[in-house]
Amino acid sequence: MALIIVLSLALGLAIGFFLPINLPPAYTSYLSVAILAALDSVFGGIRASLENKFDNAIFISGFFGNAILAAVLAYIGDVLGVPIYLAAIFAFGSRLFTNFAYIRRYILNNISKK
Amino acid sequence: MKKNFFISIAFVCIVLGIMMSTQFKNVKNSDNLTVQRAEELTNKLKQIQKERDELKKQINDLESKISSYENSAAKTSTVTKSLKDDLDKYKELAGLSDVEGPGVIVTINDSDKQLQPGDDQNAFLVHDEDLLNIVNELRAAGAEAISINDQRLVATSEIRMIGTTMNINSARFTAPYVVKAIGNPDTLEAALKLKGGIVDTLLNWGIQVSIKRSDKLLVKKYDGVLTYKYAKPYEGGNN
Repeated sequence: MALIIVLSLALGLAIGFFLPINLPPAYTSYLSVAILAALDSVFGGIRASLENKFDNAIFISGFFGNAILAAVLAYIGDVLGVPIYLAAIFAFGSRLFTNFAYIRRYILNNISKK
Repeated sequence: MKKNFFISIAFVCIVLGIMMSTQFKNVKNSDNLTVQRAEELTNKLKQIQKERDELKKQINDLESKISSYENSAAKTSTVTKSLKDDLDKYKELAGLSDVEGPGVIVTINDSDKQLQPGDDQNAFLVHDEDLLNIVNELRAAGAEAISINDQRLVATSEIRMIGTTMNINSARFTAPYVVKAIGNPDTLEAALKLKGGIVDTLLNWGIQVSIKRSDKLLVKKYDGVLTYKYAKPYEGGNN
């Protein structure tokens, strides 16, 4: 599984570098929040699969939904002058670490069982 | 279920990778952009300065050529000789030739007083108004030729502060300013040193002013080009 993640991530990076996708610099902050949301979804998905609770529909909808919601929140925050994107960063950031902690524990447990 | 998971996680990771690389490119570009721009502008500035220096040299060459032509023309007849004399006189009056004579050298420097907290730093700098006042005073006292840092003051010369630098004849200077004025040294010095006059006022602010008399002072010519684009000679009639 780890191999698939690394390979597809590398593939994505390569595609991103070679395709002439250029975002106007003004949107950088939105994309960064969206990236955080996506990262959170990936970790969530890994954790779910390790716990054998993985649901494809939830995973995909969560990935896109979170990313879009985070970007929209950042945009609204920019318009209103309230740094709402901090909420997204905080929520996704803390979830990221919790998910990572679960994954870590699961893997360590597996290793010690062997 | 397992297969589903692999497909979707691979897909999601690809999308994530694309997003990350896009963002990465963006961040790198925006960093580079400012650096590149600054570099580009510095290069341009250097190039233009080089060009300017070369053009100045060209002007000097051409001017020396002109004067040699004038000299050879002056030798041909008395009419041309008197024309040449007239030309020299007007050049001198317009500030287009080096002149020398007795006068004063006024050196003005920023204040060396320690800045106290709460003091306005601006008050301790030499301002354009100070220089203008000094030049004005010198002219009123009959100065015939004035230059500041070897920039000859002619009819179109400006003295203007831009930030902390001074623009004189479109050249930029910082303190100290050396004002050379040809005229009667006694009158010039007395005019500046009047009680309550300009030097008194400047010394009050701690600005350093020193006046030196000189018997033989060289004031350089104006090295720009004097042309009028809009002003034409008045040809009479009722406008």
